[in-house]
Amino acid sequence: MQGFIYPNEFELHWGILIVLYPYLTGLVAGAFILASLERVFNVKEVQPTYRLALLTALAFLLVAPIPLLAHLGHPLRSYEIFLTPNRQSAMAMFGFVYAWYLMVVLLLEIWFDYRKDLVLWARQATGVRRWMYYALTLGATDLSKRSLRFDDRMGRWITIIGIPSAFLLHGYVGFIFGSVKANPWWSSVLMPVVFLFSAIVSGIALVLIIYVFSSLLRWKPIDMQCADKLAAFLFYAMVVDFSLEMLDFIHRLYESEESIEILSRMIESRLFVSLIVLQVVLGTLLPLVTLGLTAPALSKKSVLVLPDELKRLAYLGSAILVQIGIFSIRYNVVIGGQLFSKSLRGLTVYKAELLGIEGVLMASALLILPLIILWMLVKILPPWPDAEASLPTEEGGDTGVQRPAPAR
Amino acid sequence: MVKLPEFDTGRVPQQVPRLVAVFALVVVALVVARTALIPDTFGERGHYRAAAVDSIVAHEKKYAGQQECALCHNAIMQARLAGNHSGLGCESCHGPAASHTANPVEFKPRIPQEREFCLRCHQYNPSRPTGFPQIDPISHNAPRACFTCHDPHAPVPPVAPGSCAACHGQISYQKGVSHHAALECTTCHEAPEEHKLSPRLVRPSKPTDRSFCGACHAEGADSPREIPRISLRTHNPQYVCWQCHYPHYPEAS
Repeated sequence: MQGFIYPNEFELHWGILIVLYPYLTGLVAGAFILASLERVFNVKEVQPTYRLALLTALAFLLVAPIPLLAHLGHPLRSYEIFLTPNRQSAMAMFGFVYAWYLMVVLLLEIWFDYRKDLVLWARQATGVRRWMYYALTLGATDLSKRSLRFDDRMGRWITIIGIPSAFLLHGYVGFIFGSVKANPWWSSVLMPVVFLFSAIVSGIALVLIIYVFSSLLRWKPIDMQCADKLAAFLFYAMVVDFSLEMLDFIHRLYESEESIEILSRMIESRLFVSLIVLQVVLGTLLPLVTLGLTAPALSKKSVLVLPDELKRLAYLGSAILVQIGIFSIRYNVVIGGQLFSKSLRGLTVYKAELLGIEGVLMASALLILPLIILWMLVKILPPWPDAEASLPTEEGGDTGVQRPAPAR
Repeated sequence: MVKLPEFDTGRVPQQVPRLVAVFALVVVALVVARTALIPDTFGERGHYRAAAVDSIVAHEKKYAGQQECALCHNAIMQARLAGNHSGLGCESCHGPAASHTANPVEFKPRIPQEREFCLRCHQYNPSRPTGFPQIDPISHNAPRACFTCHDPHAPVPPVAPGSCAACHGQISYQKGVSHHAALECTTCHEAPEEHKLSPRLVRPSKPTDRSFCGACHAEGADSPREIPRISLRTHNPQYVCWQCHYPHYPEAS
């Protein structure tokens, strides 16, 4: 502790689990927006990651509320926000945003996209898997041209609805922090926008990491066109995100409200490592420079012409640094907002516990859990282009909905 | 570029009824859950279960309320209401007393005598309002129970001069084992009455003149023979005595 703080400010009420929550929802929104690039904006190069991005979004979405439930305790009461919602509370309304996003956007889009494959896998498989796939088709086994075209169109419609929904999902998280009037570190209308773009950055970086590692594990070559495009989009999103953060920063400096002194002291002392070193230098500037030099973002050819192996390493390294940077952003927002006294006269410290329901071990488990869920989802619904079942010729051959295979 | 998809308006595809059925199931499940799980009285008086009030009322009564106390202890009650603790209920300190009012002989409420109890409110804490009586428990008459000086039912500020130690405990202890132990604080310090109310605004005086100490310590002073003597004329005449000799220390040197 340093300076004067009120007695109820010694202990931070929102710990590492509340840091996880915006981090996880950000990954969901980002991964979905990446998927929509292929579907709505016709960026064909990223097609190999389309299904992977959808499954990643689903796996992380399923885990996203768990940190909140663990933090609040009494998880068995959580259904009550659906039964008797308080319409004046943004937090209560988020339950419906979450349910909408899960049921209407992600599950539906995945279902429409996979339905053809589910039907074919159900025909080819035997035993339990056959019944499982059949159950997943919901009995809709029509594979006529017309039916498949309907799947494709519905998929596009849902993606179009999904983009504002993803913005709503993560914009809400920024909104919750941005609307805390009494906290000068949080209270900013830019907060939802900054959260949103950092979400896009983190989602693209996560899918890039998972794509590279899954290709390595499957002994399959990495589609460099896809990796280049992902890296380029990661670069663009980072430029926008960093500009917005700088705008917020300069705006605060120029406004110079009475809180500016204590916030500066906090950045110089408590948040120096997590904000200056991890978030800005390692998590933003270094990957920005690396991607700017190695990815074909600024022109059709990258500034540095490197062999593919080296480029992949640069992309992977940058994406991992970006993840560390985005996690630091969430940490700096959630923890930083509680480190200074509302008297603006003192700073407290955050000491994370290791064990316990709000400890670092729990947080690590919740970070690993979505990867385990993703692994299970991938086993049930392989997202790889080579796993897509092809229609038997008597079913009608060209259905008109097959997307072109990625160039290798 | 974004191309909006177009829809056939012909026969309904197979997927639609299946999905409608699934979503209908979800909606039905929600409606059933709402019917089954929301308590009957929810929302009658606000966003809560109205019957919760009755279940709270049905709890065993533990607090009697100060009107009950006044029936027997009216004199203490009147003293408290006239003093600085008028805002506290009897049971704030004495604990729940419903069993005592029901059976005054068998059940006696607690009488907190330990210093820690008073310190819950009166220990120094910078976040407490300015002017709220607060003490440092280490320097403020450490071993003594609070009620030996303060009556908790009418805790008016203690009366001078015996009360200097209340705030200046450390000095009081030091002086108590020094050669000046027999002197009253007011022998050397003039403390206006306002000092007790605004200790930092109205300060007690200190001797400003060598002749004050000289009344006992000067050569030829009319004082007991064992008291140390100095020549006021030759003994560092440019200083006031307490600039070198701290009079509260045992040796006072």
